Amino acid sequence: MVVVEQLNRWYTIDKKRHQILKDISFHVKRGDFVLLRGVSGSGKTTLLSILAGLEKPSSGKVLIDGEPIAKLPDIHLSHFRAKKVGIIFQHFNLIDSLSLQDNVLVPLVALKIGLQEAKAMAERALKSANIAHKSEAYPTKLSGGEKQRGAIARAIVADPPLLLCDEPTANLDRANSLLFIDALHKLHQEGKTIIVATHDPIFDAIDFPHTIIDLKDGQIV
Amino acid sequence: MLNNSFFYFFTLSLFKNRKRYFAIVTISTLVIFLLSSVLFLSDSIKYSINSQLELEPDLIVQKRLGGRVVPLDESIVDTIAEIYGVSQVTKRVYGRYYFDKEYSALIFGVDFLDEQSSKALAKLLNREDLKRFLSSESMLVGEGVFNYFKSHFYPKAYNFLTPSGKIKSVKILKVLDRRSNLFSNNLIILPQELAKEILGLKSNEISDIALNVPNPDEAANIQRKLEGLFLNAFISGKREMQKEYENLFNYKGGLFLALYLIVVMTLSLILYQRYSLANSLEKREVAILRSLGWSIKDLLGLKALENIMLVLFSFTLGLFLGYLYVFILKAPLLSELFLGKNLQTQIEFLPHIDYLSLATIFILYATTFLSAVLIPVWRVATTEPKEALS
Amino acid sequence: MNPLFLNNQVIVYLFSEAALLALTILLFAKIVKFLWFWDFRSYSNRQLKLEKEAYLAMTIATLLFTLKSVLLIFFVHTIDKLSLIIPGAMCAAGVISANSYGMDLLFIKLTVIFTLLLFLIANSYDLQAKTYPLFRFKSWVLIIASGLIFIEFFLDISYFTHIDTSTPVSCCSALFGNLEGANPLPFGLDITKLLLLFYMLYLGTIIALTLETKTITLLTLLLFGVIAYYGVVYFFGTYIYELPTHKCPFCMLQREYYYVGYLLWGSLFFGLFFGVIWVIMSQVGYNITKAKWASMLLLTLFVALCSLYVAIYYSKNGVLL
Repeated sequence: MVVVEQLNRWYTIDKKRHQILKDISFHVKRGDFVLLRGVSGSGKTTLLSILAGLEKPSSGKVLIDGEPIAKLPDIHLSHFRAKKVGIIFQHFNLIDSLSLQDNVLVPLVALKIGLQEAKAMAERALKSANIAHKSEAYPTKLSGGEKQRGAIARAIVADPPLLLCDEPTANLDRANSLLFIDALHKLHQEGKTIIVATHDPIFDAIDFPHTIIDLKDGQIV
Repeated sequence: MLNNSFFYFFTLSLFKNRKRYFAIVTISTLVIFLLSSVLFLSDSIKYSINSQLELEPDLIVQKRLGGRVVPLDESIVDTIAEIYGVSQVTKRVYGRYYFDKEYSALIFGVDFLDEQSSKALAKLLNREDLKRFLSSESMLVGEGVFNYFKSHFYPKAYNFLTPSGKIKSVKILKVLDRRSNLFSNNLIILPQELAKEILGLKSNEISDIALNVPNPDEAANIQRKLEGLFLNAFISGKREMQKEYENLFNYKGGLFLALYLIVVMTLSLILYQRYSLANSLEKREVAILRSLGWSIKDLLGLKALENIMLVLFSFTLGLFLGYLYVFILKAPLLSELFLGKNLQTQIEFLPHIDYLSLATIFILYATTFLSAVLIPVWRVATTEPKEALS
Repeated sequence: MNPLFLNNQVIVYLFSEAALLALTILLFAKIVKFLWFWDFRSYSNRQLKLEKEAYLAMTIATLLFTLKSVLLIFFVHTIDKLSLIIPGAMCAAGVISANSYGMDLLFIKLTVIFTLLLFLIANSYDLQAKTYPLFRFKSWVLIIASGLIFIEFFLDISYFTHIDTSTPVSCCSALFGNLEGANPLPFGLDITKLLLLFYMLYLGTIIALTLETKTITLLTLLLFGVIAYYGVVYFFGTYIYELPTHKCPFCMLQREYYYVGYLLWGSLFFGLFFGVIWVIMSQVGYNITKAKWASMLLLTLFVALCSLYVAIYYSKNGVLL
């Protein structure tokens, strides 16, 4: 599902090269659950955003579902993001001026899906994320846990095979974090490939099979 | 359209972000309002002048000595009437009468035995009782003249002073219709003989000769013939007059427009500024949309639609306000600027809209607006999606 | 000062053209940068920036195409209106011939619209692919388009500054009519031969397009363009005006003739445009059937419309002009 080979990412500021990721290589099989661990600044957010196609690598190869995404023109990369990847952000990233349902519609608009069908899909996603009762509400009126469930609904609405989570529990209390992990577990059982970038120790206690990749100073240890 | 999710999202975001556009719409509407008022006004005046000109005779024969227009001898009329292709040859008597230093009126003498060349005059007179007009020494006056008489305590008749020093008392028969005041406001219509007396013309003298040429292709030909008719003949045509007016209005309107270009340039600077300062909220939204699968092309499409809607909306609104201001409220302030304050006219602005003028305003505005916002819009649309992660 | 420069329409027209010129200069600078530095395989920041700027170029080109098309119509209307203050002119034909720049200007305007349309079509195919295969090609198209726009602006200025409002110009019947007895048609044709050629070239174009032979298609399209222009001015136009002496390409754009000129010239030009675009695009490896069909359809519409006017006149009056 995910193949990363010899991946490097650096920035050049004032002719000085800052290496963020160095020679990263790993494989993730379809249906795997991967924990990407490391302290802040270890490069896990950068790695995740490269996997999501939000950022381009400086060199190396990235294949998602057989598609090399490192050098893809914007239209194709965007289409890939809408169809293949669901992203759950640390700050949820819901658009405040839109109701929850309309927020969930956003990826479907990019996929040019008709309004009737899109609304039905959004309704289903909201139901399976257990937040359908708040579909008319605006993000500012929702609690952290509700926002997170809304974000899950949006990530899965187009039924992507790959889910990427960036510090998903950083803004949740313990009870909501556990609920979130339950939800991820359910999605994992449904066959989704899931990669979670986190340094929250709560994930150490998960009791279903998973792989761990530890990052330190931009390298896998 | 209704099942198009992109369109749904577009209307939704336009409606939800309406506060964001408020300032832009306000200032654009104001600019369109000003521009359209000026053009509405000048078009309306141009239109009434042109429709008056349509009624004017095709050619006018005058005698000029050293550039001065001097009276003609009546006898030439018969010679002109014999030219093939000429019709409605009319002797005209008119001139300016100065009541005092500040106020003067145009005196126009009509000859009822003659064919009425000026169809406009014929129209005015048909409504009057001709017999009464001829039986006594009376006149038809424009509203401006009538007001002057009233304020100088001559509500029924006025005592003219002829060049030979005699006092001539003339009764006011009727005040002319208020419509098309542009021409009749300062006008006095008298029987021709009476007019000659007041203007100091001899009985065989006339001011000029008007004639019509039914076939426009013949006009140049006939003009040449007339010029050879007698010494110092001066022929002017309606088309030349139209051209002169057109130039005059181009001049006035063009001056406004030149000033206007400065306003529009300022508008474009303001727009560029505002769009460049696209707030962090908007950038964040775009980053989120991009991270969720919207391509740059999708976002450019969304922004293009958004701005086209803004252009159309503010254009329509500005135009509507301009129409209201000029044709319903009678353009206070602006009409004085345009026509001059001391011209004692009360003009009825006839609602007339020239579609080329509308197109002109639209093209000026749309080009400016879209060119000004293009680069800032592109910058926002290409916001890096990774910015959504921070 | 030339009184033309106080005419509202002329001011707005020149102002808009100047604004678009500014955008074109920016576009030109970007394209030169593309041609110099573009390397899609590179991971460098500069390449990423160029990929974003390609969207700016696309946006500018789209805006230019839209506004240039609108401005062309506006231009024709403006010079038609100017015939009021230019002695001798009865319609746009006289004003456009007031100096030698006018006709060149019109021709350049059409080629600008054509090259921009070619770019937009090439661009949409380029974006659908994953490696920007047409990038260099479409960049060169834009270089040509910007060059043409520069020339266009120069002609705009030259044209309006060289109109003398005191010297009479000719009206359309003097310009296009054969008053002197000389044959105005090209290649020594007479009307019968012109019409024969008109219909034969139309058929030839359709056949060449159907058989997808590039060189012959291009040749027939260009010849048909020339013959169709003369055909409309010297034959079909007279049936639109229902007057054998009225020979003018502009008057039919007016309301008296229900603006049919827009449909007529529009279908001809865009029919030719799409045909040539099909040829050029298949030369770079893209067989765009849509463009081919659009070309055939528009040219057929054009020929049908021309013939219809003659047929209606004949059925009403029983004679030809």
